[in-house]
Amino acid sequence: MLRKEQNDLLTQTGPGTPMGQMFRLSWQPALLAEELPENECPQVRVKLLGERLLAWRDTQGNYALTDEFCAHRGVSLWFGRNEHNGLRCPYHGWKYDHTGQCTEVPSEPSESGFCQKIKLKSYPLVERGGVLWTYMGPPEKQPPLPEWEFAMVPGSHSFMSKRLQESNWLQAMEGGIDSSHVSFLHSGELNSDPLFKGSKGNTYNMADMKPVFEVVESPGGLYIGARRNAENGNYYWRVTQYVMPAFTMIPPRADHPVHGHFWVPIDDENCWAWSFDYKVTRPLSEKERKAMEAGQGIHVAYVPGTYIPTANKTNDYLVDRKAQKEGRTYSGVFGIAMQDASLQESMGPIVDRTKENLVSTDNGIIMARHRLLRALKTMEKGDTPPGIVAEHQRVRSAAVVLPPDKHFKDAAKEALVVQTGKEHVTV
Amino acid sequence: MQSESARMSSAAEARYRIDAPNSKPRSVKVIALDHPSERVIEDLAQRKWNNASFFTASAFGGTPLKGDSFAGWLSDLAGRTKNLIEEVNSADLVVMVATAGESAQAASIIGEACSVKRVMTTALVLGGQSISDEALSKTLSHLRPWALMLVIASAEEYIADMLAALRA
Ligand code: FES
Ligand SMILES: [Fe+2]
Repeated sequence: MLRKEQNDLLTQTGPGTPMGQMFRLSWQPALLAEELPENECPQVRVKLLGERLLAWRDTQGNYALTDEFCAHRGVSLWFGRNEHNGLRCPYHGWKYDHTGQCTEVPSEPSESGFCQKIKLKSYPLVERGGVLWTYMGPPEKQPPLPEWEFAMVPGSHSFMSKRLQESNWLQAMEGGIDSSHVSFLHSGELNSDPLFKGSKGNTYNMADMKPVFEVVESPGGLYIGARRNAENGNYYWRVTQYVMPAFTMIPPRADHPVHGHFWVPIDDENCWAWSFDYKVTRPLSEKERKAMEAGQGIHVAYVPGTYIPTANKTNDYLVDRKAQKEGRTYSGVFGIAMQDASLQESMGPIVDRTKENLVSTDNGIIMARHRLLRALKTMEKGDTPPGIVAEHQRVRSAAVVLPPDKHFKDAAKEALVVQTGKEHVTV
Repeated sequence: MQSESARMSSAAEARYRIDAPNSKPRSVKVIALDHPSERVIEDLAQRKWNNASFFTASAFGGTPLKGDSFAGWLSDLAGRTKNLIEEVNSADLVVMVATAGESAQAASIIGEACSVKRVMTTALVLGGQSISDEALSKTLSHLRPWALMLVIASAEEYIADMLAALRA
């Protein structure tokens, strides 16, 4: 459990909140590059960390992420006209450039220079790895662009999707490091999903339903090792990465693409679940890409024209009680992502952690909260929180078989960081 | 019509979650395996807990020989001897605290008792940052067979946070 003040501290990310400040000190995925496909394309509403913004692309191809509302009388610029080198408010014609600077106020004599006094708040928006990243913190603390491996491999090697999750970011993220639920909730998928099935690790997973966990602090967050019995007294280890505040990476299976997530607050009751998949040394096969686009693996199928999952709370996640009875899906919901999301949304927008009864196997979650709270404390004193420097981002998850006397952190030291030109270590 | 899931997962409906205790106090026994850990535990024992008690096995590095009784093998922080089996018997969770580089041999005897009584065990290793990988591995290898959850923490404060999270 957490005390109410602690729960509030970790779940509130709006402007001026400590957790919001931690998110604002690093680059966050804001939208997919595909959402702004060409110059002067339609602008897109973006809400991040409780701030309503508008993403758009000007005539020169400059990306813009600006205050959604016109400085004149507060009209949403979503109705604006994306004109030559700027966005014009449709109400009285005020015009803004990609930095948010007002460039025209038609009612004022242009010689007056009035428009120079008007500027919308704006944040940098930069493409890397098919994602448009933004930095919403103080300009003097802006770090170099993020170096997550999936964003550094050629575009043909990676796939990124996002889906709306109607819950606070923390309960979504905690699902990403909660390895002990996999053998229950996702048991149906390990052997059927094209992006999971057929790995040796899956047999260990199923043979040994009760993994033993080791939680180890890493420079940027945590390693969560789940240990199962393998042949000859060896251990099969699955090591999940958590990098603060909201990056999680699932251990690989066989030669399947490796996947992970960002859990980015939209506001305190909603978040974007970003889901990536990639290979280091080869492009994704057509079959893999098709499966991802179709919403398999950790991805979802969408309500057309949105990033809202087809199975969502408005249709009870298409729960199928017959399939549940027959054991085809453990919870009655199909698909790994929606199995997680349905349960996490069912907790309510912000789960009341004063009521929970954690057990020893929840130490991954307990440690993640502990580290976040600790990082907030040192951030207050001016320290840079973990997860911002490139070194903390160049990490990998791993699946390895090790002799019983080997500590995975040492024995798999190389497997846990990016090895240029080499694939993940996997079973 | 809104679906039931959509309605029931709203903030408005979350207010109706029953506000009654949904668990009984759990008994957590925290045992220091070595002298440095004992000091950490002494600090912890000063704080207010629901049902956590603190012990040390640091005086007893070795394993009792076959036939020896466990009586007197464990002691509380005031130095009174305690019966390990009795303590384990009344525990919901046993937390062993070890310092990286120390032998942690006592883990086997505590672990054995917990395994016989089917009591969950957790081992916390402190100070893993400041010690060689090899020394740390040695400590871990004594703990690993007996800990169903193993945590390597850099801050002593983690133990208190963990105990609070577990409602100890
Ligand atoms: S069993 Fe874990 S939430 Fe119910
Ligand atoms: Fe899951």
